[in-house]
Amino acid sequence: LSNPPVIAIVDDDEAVREALCDLLLVENLSCRGFASAGAFLREYAPDRFNCLVTDIRMPGVDGFELQQQVRALGSTLPVIVITSATDEGTRARALKGGAIACLTKPVADEVFLGRIYQALGKDFAPGSEPPRS
Amino acid sequence: MGEALPSVVPSGGSAGTVRETIGVPGETGPHPQEQARWVFDVSRIRPLIDSITRADANAHWVDAVLAGTLAAEVAQNFADLIQGATVPEQLLRQPLSAFWPVGSRDVLAELIVAVASDTASSNTRVRRVAPEGRLQDPVLTIWRSLEPSRRDLVLLTVTDAPKDERPTWYPRASETRYLNLIHHAQTAMLQVDASCMSKIYDRLRSEGIGELGLNQYLNEHPELVDLADGEVRIVEANLSAATLLGCATPAEVIGPVAFMFTVSPDTQQRIIIARFGGKRHYSEVVKLVTFDGRVRDVRLSITFPAPREDVDVHLATLEDVTDRLRTEAQLRQLQTDITHAARISTLGELATSIAHEVNQPLSAIVTNAETSLRWLSRDDPNLAKVGQLTTRIAQSARHASDIVRRVRAMTTRHAPERVPLDLNEIVDEALLFLSYEIEAKSIDLSIRHARVIPSVLGDRVQLQQVIVNLVLNAVQALKLGGSREPRIDLHTGLDADGRVLFSVRDNGPGIPSENLDLIFDSFFTTKDDGMGIGLAICQSIIAAHGGTITVSNDAESGGAVFQFSIPAIA
Repeated sequence: LSNPPVIAIVDDDEAVREALCDLLLVENLSCRGFASAGAFLREYAPDRFNCLVTDIRMPGVDGFELQQQVRALGSTLPVIVITSATDEGTRARALKGGAIACLTKPVADEVFLGRIYQALGKDFAPGSEPPRS
Repeated sequence: MGEALPSVVPSGGSAGTVRETIGVPGETGPHPQEQARWVFDVSRIRPLIDSITRADANAHWVDAVLAGTLAAEVAQNFADLIQGATVPEQLLRQPLSAFWPVGSRDVLAELIVAVASDTASSNTRVRRVAPEGRLQDPVLTIWRSLEPSRRDLVLLTVTDAPKDERPTWYPRASETRYLNLIHHAQTAMLQVDASCMSKIYDRLRSEGIGELGLNQYLNEHPELVDLADGEVRIVEANLSAATLLGCATPAEVIGPVAFMFTVSPDTQQRIIIARFGGKRHYSEVVKLVTFDGRVRDVRLSITFPAPREDVDVHLATLEDVTDRLRTEAQLRQLQTDITHAARISTLGELATSIAHEVNQPLSAIVTNAETSLRWLSRDDPNLAKVGQLTTRIAQSARHASDIVRRVRAMTTRHAPERVPLDLNEIVDEALLFLSYEIEAKSIDLSIRHARVIPSVLGDRVQLQQVIVNLVLNAVQALKLGGSREPRIDLHTGLDADGRVLFSVRDNGPGIPSENLDLIFDSFFTTKDDGMGIGLAICQSIIAAHGGTITVSNDAESGGAVFQFSIPAIA
């Protein structure tokens, strides 16, 4: 991958979506926000995104289904789930679906970025890429 | 000394009795019945009489004659003729226009002018008039004093022609029955003499005060209301009235009306305005202190005499509504309490949704704050970015606080209020409590708002409560029904009668037809953990808003349709 990594964030709550994008921006990571699973799937193409961050409960297609559909497309895109739900069932279901992490809102910045870097792999360790603007 | 007896003596009696009466010596009239004799003072209308005899007076001379002629002496049998007056002093020095019965006014005015202007030594005139008061066949006998110093005094006797006994006893028996009826009636009744007010009303009219201006006038002249309190008197009361007012006997109630208005001083003013405006009835609930010191809520209903009955005797009925008002207030409180309890219970069911709603902005705040710190800790702090993030933090915090405010409004116990409301707004606010619930169950929600909708008068929180309940019911029905593509359609608009409607339609299993009629009954439920008060409370809230709530099953999907309509503000 020669292009800088792009992280997709799917959350119907605009404030949460923008906040996560801004957090990635401090780290010079590119981000695309989507208000629904459908909006993301319409733009999805293999290699277009390096990581998918998704909420679970959303109108229309929810986070679990999104995860399934992405996998059904044959993608190995790393998925990080962020949810308000605190129950073990949600967490277990997300991880079983292939998510590398299930984080509870509000999420701590270090935890979130740690998981992002884990998803991006060692090629994109912090500071390895010069800022591009 | 005496004048010659006239040839006509309508009633028997000791004719020719010499009498000396109140300052009118030697005025022995043609009618010897002293108790039937009136004396009128016509000194004020001398010029009028002259113009009438010259035939250049205007058409209203009858009224003018009666208005200018004063009663100098009142016959002892006045009550046979004049309804409502109880003591002769009430009529003394009053113009005849204030009390004389309508039926014989024209004749009386004509006779007064005739004898007052007649200079013959025997000027007596006798006329029969229509039945009046207790008099079946009244005869007026009128003459003028011939003493030069008394030339302005006109004397009159009014007696019944003695035909048979019936005319005398029949009305009396009738009146006795009437009095018996009143005295033993369960309804508390008072007779109130307000004749003192007619002079005041006349003066107000002559000063150009109209019905509309009277309220302001009385505000500026409270002494007039005080005067009415002191001068308007209760002249009769029955046993029920005495009991209601805390007296042992009706006699104790007789006196000024002031005591009725000590706690509700504005009531007297409203009564005066109603009377002045020619109303026949006035009624309101007043708080009054009884003679034995209790404070009671009493419905006071007053019937005023017909417009031309110048003798101002009012019939008032009193009904003690204290206990009823208290029961009603308790019932209202109970309804408020139950409605509030049901709201708390519903909010309990929605706790997860509400927590989620608050957690969203909090989550954004935490992330934005941490991002700001990261910008600040860099060697070249990006202050522009920090400023932007801080603005977003404030926005999210305000959003969170707004949610908390709405939840708090739902949990607060408050007396229902009536303010103009936009039902579209209410629906949107109610959805705040529900959207997570709807999303969590992957329900497809469609909202069809009427673009322009008239306002309704209502209680914001209670209407939200109804909408939350109806939508939550739909959510639960869809969950139970296990619908494959669960849908809820919300709709606001106008119904056929122009009322504002809200409907919620789901594609769940619907309501079994045998339950359609029972569904709004208290404690009717099909849920294992339900109390069955949700819909009953929805119905009582909508009824209290003057509206109706209905349920049916959708012909197409078979799901339930709940709809309520409430009147739009005209």
